[in-house]
Amino acid sequence: MLFNTGAALLDAIVLAVVAREPEGTYGYKITQEVRQVIELSESTLYPVLRRLQKDECLEVYDRECSGRTRRYYKVTSRGWAQLHLYESEWRSYSGKITGLFEGRPVNRSEA
Amino acid sequence: MSRTEYMRQLESLLQNIPDTEREEALQYYNEYFNDAGPENEQNVIEALGNPAKVAENIKKDIFGNGYGENNYQRVGADSRAVITYPADPQTENGNNRQSDAPQTAQAQVVFPQKKEGMSTGMIVLIVILCILASPVILGVASAGIGVAAGLIAGWFGLIIGFGATAAALILVLIALVAVGIISMFTHPFVGMCLIGAGLICGGVGLLFLMLTVAMAGIATPAICCWIGGLFQKRGKKEA
Repeated sequence: MLFNTGAALLDAIVLAVVAREPEGTYGYKITQEVRQVIELSESTLYPVLRRLQKDECLEVYDRECSGRTRRYYKVTSRGWAQLHLYESEWRSYSGKITGLFEGRPVNRSEA
Repeated sequence: MSRTEYMRQLESLLQNIPDTEREEALQYYNEYFNDAGPENEQNVIEALGNPAKVAENIKKDIFGNGYGENNYQRVGADSRAVITYPADPQTENGNNRQSDAPQTAQAQVVFPQKKEGMSTGMIVLIVILCILASPVILGVASAGIGVAAGLIAGWFGLIIGFGATAAALILVLIALVAVGIISMFTHPFVGMCLIGAGLICGGVGLLFLMLTVAMAGIATPAICCWIGGLFQKRGKKEA
């Protein structure tokens, strides 16, 4: 993979992956699903989850599962709003770059 | 390396972060190992990489990468939100494995960053101002120190004075009572008066003694703590 995944994009990806499970999901599963989409060093994922939690985009709850506790992450309403924002920003941004590659002139007014 | 060894190293590398943060991070990775299953223990260790790198990523996120580098705004109460993409070519890289490969066509989005804090110009101006104003600053500072020294001397002078008064009065008590007892044999009435007077002096002396002890033992440490608290609060406000 050629392009850097910056902090904001990483947040967006993780948020989108967690959002696929309305009841919430846990760290190991999140990591596996993110890695299906982008190459990601597993050591970078925990800080992202922690940051999203501190920003109140994710909430956590613990669930007992065969004798041990497992921490689940779930998207909050604020997280949904943030995700929609990321989504529209991505569409606009990637659209512009695609247009650039295809030789389309980019209108200032489209911003 | 075993999982327990890995986690032990990670824990020791995270000693200088707040306890709750460290516990949460360790809990996360312990659960991660659990969910991966014992058969994947070595895979996880390989995938996570050096525990130092893991610890570094956690600390970077907690303490920040310097002044507002990861500055991007979140959705506010109103739906009009702004996202500015941060410029961090080295950090938050999703793929570490790419670092050795020749980077010919690396696409990066770099945006100018707002510098937080004082610019160098401001700092130079302040230094010049301090140099020019130094005579005045020294004078005012000396006056301040003088006043403080005077207050402290006065305070301790009071304590010593009260203490001396207490001692003197108690000596008077002893003297009067002694003379009074002797007089009891010859002039009982006079003797009793002397003893009475001595006791009164002794009582007042005791009061002064208590006052001295209170000032020295209780009030002085209390004032020191209060002053210390003021500096701590100031320090916390500036942090």
